[in-house]
Amino acid sequence: MSLEQVAIGSTARVADVSGSDSTSLRLLEMGLTPGVNVRVVGTAPLGGPMELELRGYRLSIRRHEAARVAIAK
Amino acid sequence: MTPTPDGTASPDGSSSPAGRAGRPIVVALLGNPNTGKSTLFSALAGIPTRIGNYPGVTVEEKLGRFSHRGQSIELIDLPGTYSLVPKSPDEQVAVDVLHGRLAGVPMPDCVVVVADATNLERNLYLATQALSLGLPTVVALTLSDVADDKGITIDSAELGRRLACPVVRVVAPTRAGIDALGDAVLSVMQSPRQPPQGLDAHLSAVDPRHEPAAREAIARYAWIEQLLSGVVHRQPPASRPLGERIDDVLTHRLWGTLVFAATMLAMFSSIFWLATPLMDGISSGMDWVSGLAESLLPEGAIRSLVVNGVLAGVGGVVVFVPQIAMLFLFVAILEGCGYLSRAAFLMDRLLCSVGLGGKSFIPLLSSFACAIPGIMAARTIENPRDRLLTILVAPLMSCSARLPVYLLLCGAFVPNVAVGVSWLRLPALVLAGMYAVGVATAALVALLLSRTIFRGPPQPFVMELPGWRWPRWEVVLERVREAVWSFLQNAGTLIVAVSIVVWALSSYPHNDAVIDADVAAHRELLTARLAGLKADDPDQTDVAEELAALDTDDGLAAARRGAAQRHSALGWMGRLVEPLVKPLGWDWRLGCAAIASFPAREVVLGTLAVIYNLGDIDPGEEEGGTALVRRLRAATWDGTNRKVFTLPVALSIMVFFALCAQCASTLVVIGRETSSWLWPLVTFTYMTVLAWLGAFATYQIGTWLGG
Repeated sequence: MSLEQVAIGSTARVADVSGSDSTSLRLLEMGLTPGVNVRVVGTAPLGGPMELELRGYRLSIRRHEAARVAIAK
Repeated sequence: MTPTPDGTASPDGSSSPAGRAGRPIVVALLGNPNTGKSTLFSALAGIPTRIGNYPGVTVEEKLGRFSHRGQSIELIDLPGTYSLVPKSPDEQVAVDVLHGRLAGVPMPDCVVVVADATNLERNLYLATQALSLGLPTVVALTLSDVADDKGITIDSAELGRRLACPVVRVVAPTRAGIDALGDAVLSVMQSPRQPPQGLDAHLSAVDPRHEPAAREAIARYAWIEQLLSGVVHRQPPASRPLGERIDDVLTHRLWGTLVFAATMLAMFSSIFWLATPLMDGISSGMDWVSGLAESLLPEGAIRSLVVNGVLAGVGGVVVFVPQIAMLFLFVAILEGCGYLSRAAFLMDRLLCSVGLGGKSFIPLLSSFACAIPGIMAARTIENPRDRLLTILVAPLMSCSARLPVYLLLCGAFVPNVAVGVSWLRLPALVLAGMYAVGVATAALVALLLSRTIFRGPPQPFVMELPGWRWPRWEVVLERVREAVWSFLQNAGTLIVAVSIVVWALSSYPHNDAVIDADVAAHRELLTARLAGLKADDPDQTDVAEELAALDTDDGLAAARRGAAQRHSALGWMGRLVEPLVKPLGWDWRLGCAAIASFPAREVVLGTLAVIYNLGDIDPGEEEGGTALVRRLRAATWDGTNRKVFTLPVALSIMVFFALCAQCASTLVVIGRETSSWLWPLVTFTYMTVLAWLGAFATYQIGTWLGG
């Protein structure tokens, strides 16, 4: 299961970030590292980006980027 | 601490604690975006001594100078960055400066890492990377007052011990901790320390299947969690913080979109309407100065140069200032309180569908008022590809300068009939259609460019939504001042130069004998035409009136002015391009007007008035507009009774002006913002080609349907 599928308002724990390009590295650098807890705050209209809360701040990423973030069961 | 904005080193620099005789210490300010770095820069160094672009890139370079305890310090504000593994030109510049690899920029002696105290965990990512560079480093904890309010306490002394570098709490707007920060810089310069070790221990714990860079990132966060354990204490607030509750509404799918639409409407209408009285004021002021120059200078070439060349050019530059100031005031306030990121968040999906990103929205929206502030606002787009694409399509948004052209032609040549319902009139529909033509073309161009020459790996949209806070007025005003100044300084002179060139083209060569002959020939032509017209012909009054005007002083002067322009280099150029504009349904006079309106498209109506012997009237005013419309309606092709202005021609002119790049100021600003002459050239070429094709299709289809 990926972060893209997490319901609004729920919290999930990151298991892994797939891919080895600069986008994946940026996701890790922004703190989406394995083990961190992420809350999905909301999403923009028409399938727009997701708003996340992690490490005490808020981050927005596009859905296809969220799809790279695997969630721990 | 005394800022020395004049850039001179303090006289007692030789007795500085760092012992660097006379030479200033170079300090680089490094930090994540939205950490209050600009406010800290102002608190330390006051007004920057230099603002410009780094050589070869469009990344802003900001330098300042101040002295602390007698030591002169040069401050370099590095572009905001999340990591020292660069992913954008901005971040590349920050890294290059830190390594002393950028020509013309001194290698820093010391790094001040700006870290947001409310978001320390992520901010320490960059701070620990900076420490491993081995340069003397100080960490400045900004927004400490906001952290206090949120119930976050940080043991900065303990954090300093663990990081092996001074950690100083600052509240930049009140200057609290600024002196302590200066002291810390001098102290690390005197006694360099070993960078902290600890990353390696965490590296071995990371899954070895990851790439080295990814392993480092994972290990670094594990290390930071360890560094911060027992250092940061969070007092859970009694109720949910106001900022979070505001955010719930403003990024909500429905409510957030509604608030966004209302905010944008308010912003857009105030740029459009609030700036208008100011612009009118500037125009009246320039008219007064022109009048003064006219009364002081003797009639002749010098007066014409001053009034129609120089002053017209200066007026054309200054008139943009209210819109630029207004837009940047809004953008700086929205950016300062954190709304700009929310706006990009909400609009991202829509703009993604045409190959742009959420941050392109505000630049494109403001381009409906004027492309110049819009293009300048594209500075808020970090991603260089999205920024360039936005700049290239922004001039296609129908700006306020196109409106008078649309209004005059729609009013004069589009039949005022109802379409379906009684309140929906055809002229209004055509007017809306012109705006739609611009938007649709921009969408297509953006889509096409993003799939072809701007094709590349998808750019990440990983954007922080910074915490809500009140904008700092000094930062807001600095943004406005900087935007206005850079426009006046860099674009102003060139725009005035272009205006002078066009004045020269329309004034020379000047031959009185040729002009006299032209006026005489025109009188004969009108007499012959009047004789051939029946008394009930609608043109009869117009032609009789024009003929009668030739016997008045003003009418003769206007006719001579028109003849002078028709026989100038501009007139010659108009005849030269006639084969090119004929397929659009235009005669050579319209060709002239299109060439003369290169500096600014609003000039086209004034030029038409001069060419059609009306002299210097104001077609924007009702009386002038009516006179011009009547003259245009009566205009015929040279030597025939065939009308020049028909509905298909009026539509073709409007489509041409909707899509063309007839605005020297826009092109100059594109050149400045992209630090290259290639992009204004590309913009001009592609827009002119599209404008021609659009006008051609409109005229041909219109004629075919009408015939």
